[in-house]
Amino acid sequence: MVVLSAARWVRSRLTDRFWRVQEVLKYARHFRGRKNRCYKLAVRSVRRAFVRSTKARREKKRFLRALWITRIEAASLEHGLKYPAFISNLTKSQVELNRKVLADLAIYEPKTFKSLAALAQRRRQEGFLAALGDGKEPEGIFSRIVHQHY
Amino acid sequence: VAKTSLTSPPWPEVKLPDPVEEAKYHAEVVRKVNGLISAGQYGRLFAVVHFASKQWKITSEDLIMMDNVLEAECGDRIRMEKVLLVGADNFTLIGRPLLGKELVRVEATVIEKTESWPKINMRFWRRHNFQRKKIIANPQTVLRINTIEIYPCLS
Repeated sequence: MVVLSAARWVRSRLTDRFWRVQEVLKYARHFRGRKNRCYKLAVRSVRRAFVRSTKARREKKRFLRALWITRIEAASLEHGLKYPAFISNLTKSQVELNRKVLADLAIYEPKTFKSLAALAQRRRQEGFLAALGDGKEPEGIFSRIVHQHY
Repeated sequence: VAKTSLTSPPWPEVKLPDPVEEAKYHAEVVRKVNGLISAGQYGRLFAVVHFASKQWKITSEDLIMMDNVLEAECGDRIRMEKVLLVGADNFTLIGRPLLGKELVRVEATVIEKTESWPKINMRFWRRHNFQRKKIIANPQTVLRINTIEIYPCLS
């Protein structure tokens, strides 16, 4: 006789509860306190840890960029230039190095960084001279001091 | 005209060196560097290369890992063309913004193409019964920089 449907007095029981619990606890083993052993507390901590790591991956980029900028500022101050002057003059001289590489050069290649700082300084001076122009008075102005008679 | 606060600019006055003498000095420096390069009197070269939308500071025998797929088989030799800077101990060549292809040659080999470790993306709003968990494994490529060569064709 062929039985096509399962008998109704047999119920299915959860047999791999242990492994389902271990899947969560394995991420909590290095936590402090009872949340590294007890499932109920571990579930909440592990969930918060995952959410925090997702958000941190986005903030890591901001944090690293601020770190590079601090390092470049320190290195350029050693050569007598401030950070905005350094970066703006480098981009005006068509040097397209990003902050990560500039920070690495400042740490590991000091002579190269010094030459970049000299390049930025020279471009800055050329910019000042270009801003001054001819040095002549503009037309139509007869004096710079106006005396007011009341 | 009397002196006011705006007669002279707020920055200290600068005098640029004489352009003729400068040109002579520049030509001298270029000749010296060309001589150094053709004589081969440089130690280890480093280069700043723009590759996979990132800038890398590389030397020879360097390992690089990119977070994306490269359409080249393992063991293929690759030449990186966008070189921004090349330097040695005594001189650096700064590109504005790139250096010429007949000046620098950077060669690399594709070593391995794998996936990253499984990163977990989770979103959770408290008290709203909302949580989503996603496991992401990005494809990664590992390159080994074989050589960086420079040729004495400065002008």
